[in-house]
Amino acid sequence: MKNKYIFGGVIIVVFLGLMMYLFTQSNIEYVDDFNKVMSTEKTVKATGSWVKEKNYNLDNQNKTFSFFMTDEQGNQMKVIYEGSIPNNFESATSVVVTGKYQNGYFHAKDILTKCPSKYEEKTANSSL
Amino acid sequence: MVGSIILTLALAFSIISMVMYFLNYRGYKNTLNYGRIAYHGMAVLVIAASVYLWYAILTHQYQYQYIYSYSNNSLRNLGVFHLASSFWGGQEGSFMLWLLMTAVVGIILQSYASKRGDLEPRVMAVFTLATSFLLVMVSPWFKNPFEYIWTDPHGVFVKIEHLNSQLFNLPFIQQFFFTDQSSNQGFIKIDPDFVSHLRQAGYSLNQFIIDGKGLNPQLLNFWMQIHPPILFAGFSMATVPFAFAIAALMKNDYRDWVKQAFPWMLAGMGVLGLGIMLGGYWAYEMLGWGGYWAWDPVENSSLIPWLVGVASIHTLLVQKKTQAKGGIGKYAKTNLMLGVLTYVFVLYSTFLTRSGVLGDASVHSFVDPGMFVYLFLVLFIGTFTLLGLGMIAYRWKTLSENIKDDEGLLSRELALFTAMIVLIASATIVLVGTSAPIFGKSVDTFFYNEMHLPLAIIIMFLNGISLLIKWQKSDLNELIRKSTYAGIGAILFTVLLVIFGGVSEIMMIILSLTTAFSLFVNIDIAIKIVRGNFKMLGAYVAHIGIALFILGVIGSAVYSEEMTVDLEKGKSVSAFGYDMTFTDSYPVENNTKFAFEVDVKKGSSQYNVTPKMYRSDFNNSIVREPAILTLLTKDIYFSPLGYDPGGETQNQHSHNHIKLEKGTSTEFDGAQISFIRFNMAPETMQLMSEGKDFQMGAVLEIEKDGNKTEIELLRKQTDGKVEFTSHESEDMNLKIDLENLSAGVIEIALSTLDGSENNTENTTTISNETLSVTASIKPFVSLVWVGVLIMVFGFFISMTRRLKDSKIVS
Repeated sequence: MKNKYIFGGVIIVVFLGLMMYLFTQSNIEYVDDFNKVMSTEKTVKATGSWVKEKNYNLDNQNKTFSFFMTDEQGNQMKVIYEGSIPNNFESATSVVVTGKYQNGYFHAKDILTKCPSKYEEKTANSSL
Repeated sequence: MVGSIILTLALAFSIISMVMYFLNYRGYKNTLNYGRIAYHGMAVLVIAASVYLWYAILTHQYQYQYIYSYSNNSLRNLGVFHLASSFWGGQEGSFMLWLLMTAVVGIILQSYASKRGDLEPRVMAVFTLATSFLLVMVSPWFKNPFEYIWTDPHGVFVKIEHLNSQLFNLPFIQQFFFTDQSSNQGFIKIDPDFVSHLRQAGYSLNQFIIDGKGLNPQLLNFWMQIHPPILFAGFSMATVPFAFAIAALMKNDYRDWVKQAFPWMLAGMGVLGLGIMLGGYWAYEMLGWGGYWAWDPVENSSLIPWLVGVASIHTLLVQKKTQAKGGIGKYAKTNLMLGVLTYVFVLYSTFLTRSGVLGDASVHSFVDPGMFVYLFLVLFIGTFTLLGLGMIAYRWKTLSENIKDDEGLLSRELALFTAMIVLIASATIVLVGTSAPIFGKSVDTFFYNEMHLPLAIIIMFLNGISLLIKWQKSDLNELIRKSTYAGIGAILFTVLLVIFGGVSEIMMIILSLTTAFSLFVNIDIAIKIVRGNFKMLGAYVAHIGIALFILGVIGSAVYSEEMTVDLEKGKSVSAFGYDMTFTDSYPVENNTKFAFEVDVKKGSSQYNVTPKMYRSDFNNSIVREPAILTLLTKDIYFSPLGYDPGGETQNQHSHNHIKLEKGTSTEFDGAQISFIRFNMAPETMQLMSEGKDFQMGAVLEIEKDGNKTEIELLRKQTDGKVEFTSHESEDMNLKIDLENLSAGVIEIALSTLDGSENNTENTTTISNETLSVTASIKPFVSLVWVGVLIMVFGFFISMTRRLKDSKIVS
């Protein structure tokens, strides 16, 4: 009977070890400061919003989609995403891109767009 | 008012029922009837509140904040059921749906438990604890769907388009009227003060607010009507095994609970599995990215309880079988824990989805609901976790009674135990990856895929082997002999797959081998059983289903190919061996969407697909609806990328055609032209998104012969047509035409006015109407859906068998 428990215990340890290892390998940090994003070699998830004044660009030749993002401090960077424009991009406020900053651009392999909350009513200037 | 009162009453009844049932368990005789009456009273009230909510939705009662926020008049055009589905469009409503499902499940549970000895008071006391928590959640203190729009003393700004303009001449309206300066959008501020003015004037808020915000267009489809109800039904059913586990712990009696809880666990996991799959199919059919599972935290969080529940089904089987030896059976502690954890993970899933902790990690995550709700969710999950695990700890001694552990290594008991371990391993992987964002980290999807690949291999092998292994112990030689046919079949299948399917990766080959092995073992046994007793088929059908599912995943996820195709109208393009021709484009669905017809031909077969695109008013963006061609062995998936209406443009094409990035300059005929900056007024963005006319400017500085001037060239959009301006300077003998303006870059054409430096040609370019699509091949993706459906069917066959077993022989 003891053998079974040792056998089981070993398997569990191996499994957990494998999982922890793979977790660290696939771990991607959320970074909201673009200075940090631009200075690291690692793949990160950069969070910010897209700069609507600088229009987006669809490149059909290279099948890429590029736009500009800004973080809360006002740092901007150009993002190139290998893929097509996400469904709700035009109305998105915050954007999370996964990728690496290289050669002056952020090469994104994933984009997550978030729409403004439904409950965001405008607090308007009063005027008649 | 009515709705809130009904729900508050229901909460009272739920608590009374819980107390009565608990007292009955403690021995007070006459409380049983009170418990039953209170429970049914609560259920009736919950059903009444739900009916009232539907009624209010269908009659457009926009004075309710929830109905204003999630429905509108135009939903009715899509059909009554679409309008009705806005019931669960937001948090309050989805809690109501969960509550409704739970209340109905409880009615069935009460009847079931009442026929099984003294089970009812214990099970219902725990069950009503759950319903009470849910009722608190939808009570006036938290996420009440019947809250009025003016309840917030700060008031709510409602767009004037949603209001009855005939009442705008009422004297007090002006003091509540506001305009947003940047968008010129008018609002009326509706607060308690406004409502009392309105009432004094003799009008109700219902008469004043005549339209609502409506649902996100991605929710306006068939799946919105069935995926949430089925998913929540699954969640509700997960409450039952939890209640059974606690009931057993209360009485400290573990023999009967296994066969009593078994059919519920099977049915619950069948329904939940179906609900999860429908979510995946929805994503595949509607969202256009061609996939069905993104390992999104919210998707994952519904998968975890399913994996835990299915794991427990395997060890419940062992416990049941080993009870024949006397005693409570093997793995009693495990089963109790898994029964508790299945529901705890349902609550955890709720917590992840609604508390806002996932924030940036998920497309599904909602806004932060506020501190109170957050704390209450923590209390909800904490209470049930402590109750469950606490009771198990309390009864640990009795549960640790000595059971003869004499099974051999090659026994079905051990194989089933290993199956449970592997499924729990899978649940752990998903749990770790899903919870990572809470700690500010995230995992790439390859974390899940890499870890699950070896697990899937093990599961499939185990499944095949375990059905050939006998209870207690088996002889190795006999085992090998029995697996021969299935083994050979699996090898043949895999060889064919390698030769004809192009499967070359070693892990995929092994996975195919083990999956095919499992498939053939199950089919073999199933055929034998079908000739006998149909009801015994459940497990085999379920495993056939999961094997087909894995084969479908291998095909569609691993071996899919995609390419972008530009289809000029009328011209056929070849892709993946098919000839595709874009033939027609026309508005559909009441002129709200644009459909593009594409003919797809191969040999003698001809098909037709119609992807669609449209601009949604809801969130001001372009929505792309894919079209799927389902063939026998694959799907061809068409996702529309873009559409160029084409047309004739006369260009005076100058060879002095330059692209200038902001901050750079160029030289022409002695002049230095620098692109300084863009000029865009703040309201431009709003105008752009509303489809109105707008313009954007590029500011250039020209320096020639010591003279400097600053000019601005414009890109004007009027009525959808684009126009570019140009600048002429006689002094400098220079003409600059703006040809294009986009992100960070402008294109200009430079020429001299006297024609001296020009190389121009007049060209007429005709661009054809072109549809760009991403076409992908998804081999055997149908097996993904069919596999799950067969698996769910298997669950229900098993359930009917175990239902019979559950009746106590008293």
